[in-house]
Amino acid sequence: MTQRHKVDGQPAFVLHAHPFRETSLIVEVFSRDYGRVALLARGARRPRSALRGLLLGFQPLELGWAGKGEVKTLIKAEWQGGQPLLTGKALFCGYYLNELLIHLLPREDAHERLFLIYAETLRHFSGVLQESDLRCFEKALLQELGYGLTLGHDAAGAALETGGDYAYEIERGPVRLSRRGSSGLSVSGKTLIDLARGDLGDPRSLAEAKQLMRSLIAHYTGGKELATRKIFMELQEL
Amino acid sequence: MSTPSSLESLVEALRCLPGVGPKSAQRMAYALMQHDRTGALRLADSLRGALAAIRHCGRCNTFTEIELCERCASPKRDASLLCVVETPVDMNMMEQTHAYSGLYYVLMGRVSPLDGVGSRELQLERLLARASDGIVEEVIIATNFTNEGEATAHYLSEMLKTRSVRVSRIARGVPVGGELEYVDSGTLAQAFRERRTFAE
Ligand SMILES: [Zn+2]
Repeated sequence: MTQRHKVDGQPAFVLHAHPFRETSLIVEVFSRDYGRVALLARGARRPRSALRGLLLGFQPLELGWAGKGEVKTLIKAEWQGGQPLLTGKALFCGYYLNELLIHLLPREDAHERLFLIYAETLRHFSGVLQESDLRCFEKALLQELGYGLTLGHDAAGAALETGGDYAYEIERGPVRLSRRGSSGLSVSGKTLIDLARGDLGDPRSLAEAKQLMRSLIAHYTGGKELATRKIFMELQEL
Repeated sequence: MSTPSSLESLVEALRCLPGVGPKSAQRMAYALMQHDRTGALRLADSLRGALAAIRHCGRCNTFTEIELCERCASPKRDASLLCVVETPVDMNMMEQTHAYSGLYYVLMGRVSPLDGVGSRELQLERLLARASDGIVEEVIIATNFTNEGEATAHYLSEMLKTRSVRVSRIARGVPVGGELEYVDSGTLAQAFRERRTFAE
């Protein structure tokens, strides 16, 4: 499917863009049927370019492109609308999602389900920002990449117990702890069950899920410090 | 064939210019050395001169050759207003409106989380100190209406909210003289969302 040379009317979001030559942009996009794709937007930085102001992150677009190489040529872009621009904290969370996708999604690997979840999460962001949306996105992302969390049972195959304490071990899953505070990341059975259901209304579940997802993501990004997190932390320190 | 090393280093040096790749750099270097040695000399001299003379204004951060730029030193400007812009070009645009008589602070960039540009890179503590001089009453954020401009605006408003200054953001909407038929949908949609009630 990725062998086709011409793509038209493809739903996509801009993840990041950087200047290329005098007047062009290289745009990293996340598309529904082709995954993450790099596109050359010729002349997009010219004052009167139709693309200027259109290739904006977090806005639903429909794109057309052509080419076989690693960087394709953008031919057409249409704004799909209906979504206010992200502002405030939600904007920073949006950047975080984009950084995760840029680091973890291989190029030209289709993830339709993740694309739909991404679009849905951004829609939520333009309303009231919920931290649980971030956790659910992270969970879906890992699952799509084949790093899915084991949340249906513990590492020994036994059912998770709400009152139980577990150490979440990457690759193995939740290991039942006889008492709290031993090695690994400890997390309650309730948090794991809540995370599986995507219902993080309980503040403790939400806090523990955040720690859990953070350590998993650090593992899969090779411990690389995420720029978006660093910038956001700097903001809190001011 | 081996290229002389000073030519190589010239090509390499030219690549620091925005939008100049290896091929253009090579073309520029050959052109300067082959056809325009006087021009090359002028370029070298003015680069050296500019580097020695140009610095950032101690108050507004724009380029200047003196300690305090003319605008910041002018008694005619309203020192209770501070307008924050991304670049000196943006400041010039604001000046052309003739609608503003306050002072400026030029960020010389914008917050861009994905590029790792935040408060440290933009040295925002300088702006914070500038806005907390006791004279500034209102900080007007005039960064771009791009995601990075919005991120910058959010950053600044969060940073300034504990200070005793009013923080405002320039409005966006349909351009003056703009006919709806020709306005792009994104602008129109945002103008619709940010509609206001007619004053009584
Ligand atoms: Zn000045």
